[in-house]
Amino acid sequence: MREDPKQCIDIKAVHYWRWTAIIKSIFLLLIPGAYYFTVHLWQWPFWIAVVLVVLTLADAVFSIFFKPDIIWKTWRYEVSEQEIDLLHGVFIKTRTLIPMVRVQHVDTEQGPLLRHFGLSTVSISTAAGNHEIPALADEVAAVLRDRISELARVVDEDV
Amino acid sequence: MYEPQRLHPVAIISFFIHNLYNLVQAALPLFLVFLAGGNHKWLLAVLPFLLIIFIAYGVLYWLRYVFYVHEQELRLEFGVLVRKKRYIPFERIQTVQISAGVLQRMFGLVKVEVETAGGGTKAEFVLAALSREKAEELRRILQTGQKVLNHTDEENTAIEYTLSTRALLLLATTSNGIGVVISAMLVFFSQLDDIFTNLHIWNKMIDYAESLAVGKVSLIISAVILLLLVAWLLSLLGTIIKYGNFHLTREGQSIKISHGLLEKQQLTIPIKRIQAVKVVEGLLRQPFGMVSIQVVSISNIGKKGEGNVLFPLLPKDQLMRFLKETVPEFAMPLQVQGLPTRSRPRYLWINIIPALLIAIGCTIFLPWGYLSFLLLLPAGWLGICQYRDAGWKMEENKLLLRSRVIGRISTILPRRRIQSLDISRNFFQERRGLTTLGVALASGTLGTNIMLRGMDEEASSLILHWFKLGIMRHKTKIY
Repeated sequence: MREDPKQCIDIKAVHYWRWTAIIKSIFLLLIPGAYYFTVHLWQWPFWIAVVLVVLTLADAVFSIFFKPDIIWKTWRYEVSEQEIDLLHGVFIKTRTLIPMVRVQHVDTEQGPLLRHFGLSTVSISTAAGNHEIPALADEVAAVLRDRISELARVVDEDV
Repeated sequence: MYEPQRLHPVAIISFFIHNLYNLVQAALPLFLVFLAGGNHKWLLAVLPFLLIIFIAYGVLYWLRYVFYVHEQELRLEFGVLVRKKRYIPFERIQTVQISAGVLQRMFGLVKVEVETAGGGTKAEFVLAALSREKAEELRRILQTGQKVLNHTDEENTAIEYTLSTRALLLLATTSNGIGVVISAMLVFFSQLDDIFTNLHIWNKMIDYAESLAVGKVSLIISAVILLLLVAWLLSLLGTIIKYGNFHLTREGQSIKISHGLLEKQQLTIPIKRIQAVKVVEGLLRQPFGMVSIQVVSISNIGKKGEGNVLFPLLPKDQLMRFLKETVPEFAMPLQVQGLPTRSRPRYLWINIIPALLIAIGCTIFLPWGYLSFLLLLPAGWLGICQYRDAGWKMEENKLLLRSRVIGRISTILPRRRIQSLDISRNFFQERRGLTTLGVALASGTLGTNIMLRGMDEEASSLILHWFKLGIMRHKTKIY
């Protein structure tokens, strides 16, 4: 196997993921909450409510306290003159190679929460779909975007 | 072609029918309510007016509908109330399809549809009625405009393939359209039941069947057999009508296909738009040594749901010659290198586990349900076949990936068409040193991913290396 890519994504990404997980968990808790009403209204079994609460709490604990670190540790990328090399995934580790000549355009994206942490996501489009490098520091993302777009500006006749 | 011009006046009929159809579709509920209202005399007064308005609109629409070629663009101007202009640069044109429906045939005309890469199932540019000469002339202009190289091509010896009657019959008898026909029939019958509530069509059918068969089981069995037989005959007929008269010719850098007994479909595929070729050996067709050939193309060819069939059924021994003559970039022998033995368990489990779950469920909930454990046999057998048939092969500039779901599919991928490549390994694969190879191709808006599961680590890194080499070669070629 060739050498794995080296670059890590920004460490602040961990905080960002932690916060998205917190927000997501709050919304997920609405489901057992809504179910609790049905217990009162139509006498649906109570134990399901308990199971739902336990499941959401377990998911919340995992996705808030553990998942962000694991994802950060497993994400690697590298951009060379010829290609973009990505490696990520915990249970399924995926290594993706995108030739520079196949890149159609490259964007940086930033939602409100990402902006708060000064992070951006770089999104790379080929004719066969999108690839993302999540949560890079703003400056790093901007430099990367400009570099990829520069390198990708090669005339390619095949597609 | 370079002067703005109108369609053949027959197009008025086509527009008229189209508008009427749209109106009927939209206003049918309203119309039914009126009909149920009792007194219909006013209808007699209104209908002629409506008809006249519609015909007049059709004529106006025809008058305003002009097309022409200007500066490497195909231009269309149309619309009565809202005027529209649509310009399509030649490079953006993906396929030009010439067909003739019943209406066009009555007047010896054709219909031309021009499609671009943009999504959507409808063609962007439809010329409803045109004389055949004009259509051919337009197509010639569009194609020469697309690429100047077309002219310099000298291997213009007619390469032609037709679907033999034997192959057509085999295609029809083994087509898997049966499921579609059955569900369509069921929907149709249930609709009948809704519309003619007095008729009780189900009851009548059951009464009739009961008089034929005694006892409930034989009743159900005979009904099912009857349904299957009718469905099979209908799908047979459908396939024959659709693929009858199948012709494929190669002209320069594009492939022309025409097929259809009632409505003649014609379409053109530029060879350079083809991203990959798939050779499909269906379960029922494999014993006959027949394969069907499909393409992965940037935009979909033909109508939605038809698949991208290049040639519906071809004897396997003619395959190499066919590929060499029609799509030489994709010609390679289909022998593959198999997967390592340690990936066999995966192929077995992936089939056996669902069968096991179904069997357990049946045993619990159905009398005699434990008989469903027999399902494990075909499931295991399928797993073994899937493992045995999966494999890969690399040539200098192309890659062959073969796998089986039900039918066996060999995909031929030129290196320069691969958009990105990924190698993934899940928890189980990691322990065994196995990987899943994924190759992304441009097709539609989302692309297509061709995968091979259970590849040896060494093999997939070999392919990764091969892919990387191609990138570097590509770069040096450009500078």
